[in-house]
Amino acid sequence: MSAFHKLIARVRTALESPVESARPHQAAADTASPHAAAARRAELASAFAREFGAVRGEFLGIHAPEKIPAKAVELARTLKARVIAVGAGVTLDFDPVRHALESARLTVVPMDTKKSEDAPPLRDRIAQADLSVVEADAAIASTGTFAVVGTPASPASLTLTPAANLIIFRADRLHADLATAIAALGPEPFVKNRVAMITGPSRTADIEKMIVLGVHGPRRLFAIAAWPGQ
Amino acid sequence: MSAGPSSSGFLEASRRGVADADLRRKLENATGRHLEHVAASHAEFPAFDSERDAARRIKEDAIGRLDELLVELKNNLEANGAAVFVAADAGEARDYIVKVVQRAEAKRVVKGKSMTTEEIELNPALERAGAEVVETDLGEYIVQLRGERPSHIITPAIHLSKEDIGRLFADKLGIPYTAEPETLTDAARKRLREIFLSADVGVTGVNFAIAETGTLALIENEGNGRLSSTLPDTFIAVMGIEKVIPKLSDLSHFLEILARTGTGQKLTTYVNFISGPRGQKDADGPRAMHVVILDNGRSAMLADPVLREALYCLRCGACLNVCPVYRRIGGHAYNSTYPGPIGSIVSPNLFGSAAAELPFASTLCGACRDICPVRIDIPRILLHLRWREGAKQPPARWPKETVKVRESVVRFARMARFPRTLRLLTRLAAVVLRPFSRDGYLRRMPGVAGNWTKWGRDFPALRARRKTRKGAKPAPRIADANRDGAAAPSGQSQ
Ligand code: SF4
Repeated sequence: MSAFHKLIARVRTALESPVESARPHQAAADTASPHAAAARRAELASAFAREFGAVRGEFLGIHAPEKIPAKAVELARTLKARVIAVGAGVTLDFDPVRHALESARLTVVPMDTKKSEDAPPLRDRIAQADLSVVEADAAIASTGTFAVVGTPASPASLTLTPAANLIIFRADRLHADLATAIAALGPEPFVKNRVAMITGPSRTADIEKMIVLGVHGPRRLFAIAAWPGQ
Repeated sequence: MSAGPSSSGFLEASRRGVADADLRRKLENATGRHLEHVAASHAEFPAFDSERDAARRIKEDAIGRLDELLVELKNNLEANGAAVFVAADAGEARDYIVKVVQRAEAKRVVKGKSMTTEEIELNPALERAGAEVVETDLGEYIVQLRGERPSHIITPAIHLSKEDIGRLFADKLGIPYTAEPETLTDAARKRLREIFLSADVGVTGVNFAIAETGTLALIENEGNGRLSSTLPDTFIAVMGIEKVIPKLSDLSHFLEILARTGTGQKLTTYVNFISGPRGQKDADGPRAMHVVILDNGRSAMLADPVLREALYCLRCGACLNVCPVYRRIGGHAYNSTYPGPIGSIVSPNLFGSAAAELPFASTLCGACRDICPVRIDIPRILLHLRWREGAKQPPARWPKETVKVRESVVRFARMARFPRTLRLLTRLAAVVLRPFSRDGYLRRMPGVAGNWTKWGRDFPALRARRKTRKGAKPAPRIADANRDGAAAPSGQSQ
């Protein structure tokens, strides 16, 4: 009998013992989070901006997709960033972002993902970037959160090792709460890729419970909502 | 350092903790701040209680069919490309991890915060095997530099002030002394970033393991768990059998309550989902992923009808912060990986007789049960463990102090049969103790009564006469109240 089967046998025997419940729990309560199913996009965006600000994220507004390259250049200049790592878009084309940054004489880290052997150098080059730009697969208004799926063209390190991170999301991928966002993503990305939910910049409260940002991950986190006609 | 209590020195250690006024100040400061955040975050989330109930039901269901879910989890993790090892005890888990590290010819191992790896005493085993082990959670890094064990499951360095940490970093990292949290954090970031980029193996714990998809969820604020599971070539996750939940859709109920109770946030900064090693074309992520599923006494807890509830614990740490005993004595007094109320339950079951005294380290005030996000009835389980321990021990083995308290209670109970005498004695005591009373409290008492106030406890000042409002009727006696039906709830039981 393998160790696993032995464990399952132990667990099965243990489960045969009766359970003494502490007290009856409300049986019929609603299991779903309350969420504003009919909330308008604008309301969600404003809720997102409020919550994102509360976790010390910096919301740069709602902009038309064609204005995003200029916004990325403006941010890079404000931060005095020289090296920028740009992932692949999910719904948006990020080539114009790359071109705009290069035209502004900034160094864009090439995402050469053809050969797996290149992984360590690429990983290290991403870690050297002053700013990274990615698109989120979903955003959550009630907590100011992004769900970012790591892919070969948009590695997980992009939202982790650079000093600052700009996350762009399409306004129609903004969900009211966690439950709806997880349901909308479905199980596939969780099984096939690495998914990170990100709520504000990296932080610690390990010294006298005082909050300090950027302990391991990005110290500053920026967001732009993309929506046509803005 | 050892994961379990090495001796039953709880009383001595707790005495030291209580006598350390500086420690108490630090604990009051940190736990008080945490409780303020928690109260605020609960107040702004009206669905908090319904989410707690939902999470509780999911845990009851998951633990009730743990056998099925473990099979499903293992199959799905393996289908995703992870290697799964089931360890019956700490020794088996350690041996497996050491073998993986040796096979990877790893020199440097980075660790995310994981109480389960503390429980199995992984660090010394890896060091004996020749690997350098670096804790990367800031609090864990601090206590590792001091050669200590964490004193809290969420805030490992809660017992240290910023000045203590400033001196430590000046000494160990060679930076100029500062007590600025930002500068100290920045120094740790720089040092640890270099270590991350050169680490061969990353080890973390697991908060939830989703059976349906074979996905591990790691919850954290710093990003060190993400780095540990993303940068090194080999990743090892260590989880207790109780971490499994059935479905991906179950997770949101836990996420809605966990950070709100653990840290007072709506959601932690990172929730990381990992299902397997990196794909062929991926630029990062581990090339090999191992999941160690640990029993180590948990199936015995499952078999106990009362103790089973303790397996619902999310390790949010809130019961520690709210516990009047923990707040007075600190985590190190428990001399166990798991301190505080939940530690007093799990430690005797994971570490055996050496932790047998811990269930007695509680006033049974119930604050832990009230704050627990999955409503674990901690006082009830503690009482159960006390009875279990009591049945094993002859009375003479009870701590001297406990015997004394018990005898005093028996004496008081005898006296209480004569209410008039009791009232008379109370009035007499009120007169004698009046010089010791301040702001309605006795903070110091003479003679044998001084034992009560000796350890910083106070006592409400006694009144020589019962206060009655002018013209107020005397309170009805219980017998009268019952006759009128006033004491019957909702007036139903006639
Ligand atoms: S027992 Fe409850 S309050 Fe204590 S750590 Fe576990 S989940 Fe948190």
